Amino acid sequence: MRHIAATFYDGKTAHKKDVRLYFEGTGHMRVVGLGTDLVYPLSAVRITSRVGNTPRSLYFPDGGKCETLENDTIDAILQRQGKGQWQSMLHTLESRLGYVFLALVLTVVGGWGLVKYGIPALATRVAYAVPASVDVALGREGLEILDQVLFSPSALDDQRQTHLRLQLADMAGEIDEVQSLRLEFRKSERVGPNAFALPSGIIVLTDKLVLLAEHPNELTSVLAHEIGHIRHRHALRSLLQNSAVVLLIASVTGDVTSITALSAALPTMLLEAQYSRAFETEADQFALQYLQEHNIPLTHFADMLTRMENYKGTPGQVPDYLATHPATSQRVKMFQDKNSPDSGK
Amino acid sequence: MDPTIDQGKISPASTVVEEEAHSTKTIPFEFTGKADEYFKIWIVNVALTIVTLGIYSAWAKVRKKRYLYGNTWLQGTSFEYLGDPNKILKGRLIIGGGLLIYFVASFFLPFVDEYSWLLFLLILPWLVVMARTFTARNSSYCNIRFDFRTTWGEAFKVFFGLALIGATGLGYPYFVCRRTEFVVSHSRYGTTPLALPWQNGVRTFYAMYLAAGGIFVVLFFVIGMVLMPILSQTFSPFMVPQTQDQQHAPWLAAIPVFLSFFLSMGLLVYLPAFAYLKTAITNFIWSNITIANHRFYSSLETSQMIWLYGSNAVAILLSLGLLIPWATIRTVRYRLDHLKLLGAGDLNEFVSSQQGEVAAAGEEASEFFDVDVGI
Repeated sequence: MRHIAATFYDGKTAHKKDVRLYFEGTGHMRVVGLGTDLVYPLSAVRITSRVGNTPRSLYFPDGGKCETLENDTIDAILQRQGKGQWQSMLHTLESRLGYVFLALVLTVVGGWGLVKYGIPALATRVAYAVPASVDVALGREGLEILDQVLFSPSALDDQRQTHLRLQLADMAGEIDEVQSLRLEFRKSERVGPNAFALPSGIIVLTDKLVLLAEHPNELTSVLAHEIGHIRHRHALRSLLQNSAVVLLIASVTGDVTSITALSAALPTMLLEAQYSRAFETEADQFALQYLQEHNIPLTHFADMLTRMENYKGTPGQVPDYLATHPATSQRVKMFQDKNSPDSGK
Repeated sequence: MDPTIDQGKISPASTVVEEEAHSTKTIPFEFTGKADEYFKIWIVNVALTIVTLGIYSAWAKVRKKRYLYGNTWLQGTSFEYLGDPNKILKGRLIIGGGLLIYFVASFFLPFVDEYSWLLFLLILPWLVVMARTFTARNSSYCNIRFDFRTTWGEAFKVFFGLALIGATGLGYPYFVCRRTEFVVSHSRYGTTPLALPWQNGVRTFYAMYLAAGGIFVVLFFVIGMVLMPILSQTFSPFMVPQTQDQQHAPWLAAIPVFLSFFLSMGLLVYLPAFAYLKTAITNFIWSNITIANHRFYSSLETSQMIWLYGSNAVAILLSLGLLIPWATIRTVRYRLDHLKLLGAGDLNEFVSSQQGEVAAAGEEASEFFDVDVGI
């Protein structure tokens, strides 16, 4: 009769006892040691699943337990019993090199697919399903926060503001799926010439941006770009995507100490920057289409972009800005290239 | 340190004082986990988590914990983790649902946002107690479970009052000290409570936090003055787009600067201060924990911890996360290799509390308490 070595704990004290386990053909097992001789029906014994080569526990109905390192023997007994297939499958997956390699490929491809397609697709769906009231609350809160940290009231004269507001209302009227747009003007030393598109159709132009424009069509093209952001719900989508990425990376690296988790911050930032660049490109496409439809030369947008870039000037600051937007030279080139066939009209 | 000092804890086995003094011995913890074996388990569980869109993560957590516990040995017996993945999943769903409700509520009811700190203070004690209870009750050694017992009032008192003090910043070390005392002194192994009989806890915590702050400030200025000019000079040629390729994506050229800034500030300033604090606190807490007439002793070294954490961070970054299991194994190994139990007598005297009260109370409470919130 075959037996395996094990340690017995009665579950009442920490006292341990060396025992031998006999597995009998009758569907019973026997625990034999100094002053111990116990018999249990195998069906009443709970055997833990195998994890690597860690000790296996056999729990008995009376609260006692045996621990053994003879994992292979236990596996064989379970197999003979026709039990624990699911558990042994897990161990097979976790120990065979082929499956491990498959898991590695699946993780890399799956992780990439999730980040590249899964999360953006899901975020888009959710963003379009979000009720308008939430959108309004998000826009209102977003503007409140920006007002606190970045903006001060605009110094532009009312006439100019009203004029641009009317222009935006005209533009909005022509575009499907864009209802109420609201134009806000703010002064900000820190962000320079810039424009923001917040949820619920709030567009913010900085004073510097309005003053930087040398032709009305330049502001039209900027507005078209921002409407593109709103039309595609970029603000909400980026909020959702960025939270999902943080969750995803945290769930993979979560079991590491906090200092090491710091190294997760960099990929998170790079991914968020990549999402942001995709949105900018999408908004550029929208602006491009709008300008073409209205026979506005695309060079106006290219000029505006170049001037904004020159204003920012100092190349020492590039990382932040350039990481969240496609390279300006690239964007300008796109508009110039597309412009040439139309310029004859 | 004299491990035989009686801390007022009565152990059933230590009746004769002379015997106790004779049988004092050091029992080291041992860790037998292997990086390659753990990598296989880890990657398969990550893959299954991705394939199931995160649902499997509860099962993955249990399998990873079981591997780490099962490879932790003390006196020839390994620890065992008994957590039920279903309960962990339930716990995560509850926490996720709670957060969702909070986000939605704060949009429609502005006052929710204003009082969210109060809400947080109310929920925090509850979360800590639930998490500690779940982890303790599902940790077992020699077929005897650990336990964590406290009353709601006490947890609430400790955390509500202390969190207010801790929130001021100056009170934070005091908060950490009292929180540690609370958690340890309500933990037990079987029927035997753990104790933290230190006299100078608060003072020592303040000294440790001050020292860590000092290390941070000094390094920040030294590194800032010495290294940053060198760094910016080294990389300045790369900042001007040189090739056609770089012109199209100049942000690529900025990555080295960004990366070296991030890494050097992280590795040279934050890391030493953090590693010092972690080492000092871990050693101080563990070397003061007693159970019956045994005492733990932790002897981590700051220099080793800096190396460990620093190399882990770099390895994980360069391997895109694939070396996480390797980093986990070597960190756990280092910590357990430097943890000992200074024992008086052997460990047989511990008695389970399973018979009687807890079995019933445990069953009854399991629906509500045994929800894991540790992330």
